[in-house]
Amino acid sequence: MTLAAVSDSGPLIHLAEIDSLELLSAFDTLLVPETVYAEIEAGGVPSGLADVSYELVDVDGEASAKEELDAGESAAIAVAAERDIVLLTDDLAARRFASDGGIEVHGSIGVIALAHGRGRLDADEAAARMRALQRETSLFVTEAVIERGIELLNEER
Amino acid sequence: MAAEISDRVREIAEENDLPESEVFERALERGLETLWEDVVLKRYLDGGIDREEAIEQVGRAKVERAEREQQIVEEDTDWGLNA
Repeated sequence: MTLAAVSDSGPLIHLAEIDSLELLSAFDTLLVPETVYAEIEAGGVPSGLADVSYELVDVDGEASAKEELDAGESAAIAVAAERDIVLLTDDLAARRFASDGGIEVHGSIGVIALAHGRGRLDADEAAARMRALQRETSLFVTEAVIERGIELLNEER
Repeated sequence: MAAEISDRVREIAEENDLPESEVFERALERGLETLWEDVVLKRYLDGGIDREEAIEQVGRAKVERAEREQQIVEEDTDWGLNA
């Protein structure tokens, strides 16, 4: 199945923090709104992003603006809705907003699981990266919750 | 890393006009609190304690956050494995 996604800055930053941006190539098409790229650029573009195939897309800022979300999240949601593709975000508010609007939403954990599901990572490596996501990045996830995700990976064996 | 920790301890001590030993003591207390919360949430999510007991020990906000996170991790993992 062909899989396309648009990402806000969260998964790009969190996956970069564990040197795992290459997992985004599990998607057949990856879009990054210009606004999101600008947010990442402000903090320094992670070197691994150059090795990822993605397309920058322009979004009408005023049309996509949502009061409770930042500009990058709003732009990514607008692209996901317009093109009917998966939204990648690690922000709980953005996830809820998009889900309520009928958009399929996943985050960095989903990217790791997808890479495993598509044969790019074995289960042990996927588990190691999930734990790294919890311990080594700015993404806040309770440790016990990550272990539940790893259990689910192992149940598939 | 060790040098970075020493620098931070010194800066925190200076900023708060505290001895460095007090900074270490507070860091240990805060670290232990976080680790304890992880234990409680793990027990709750594994079914070892009930929701009310978990709320009593770590507060409603942390329990609700963990529940939401668990739902997301389960959704994402299931999707990733089957997409």
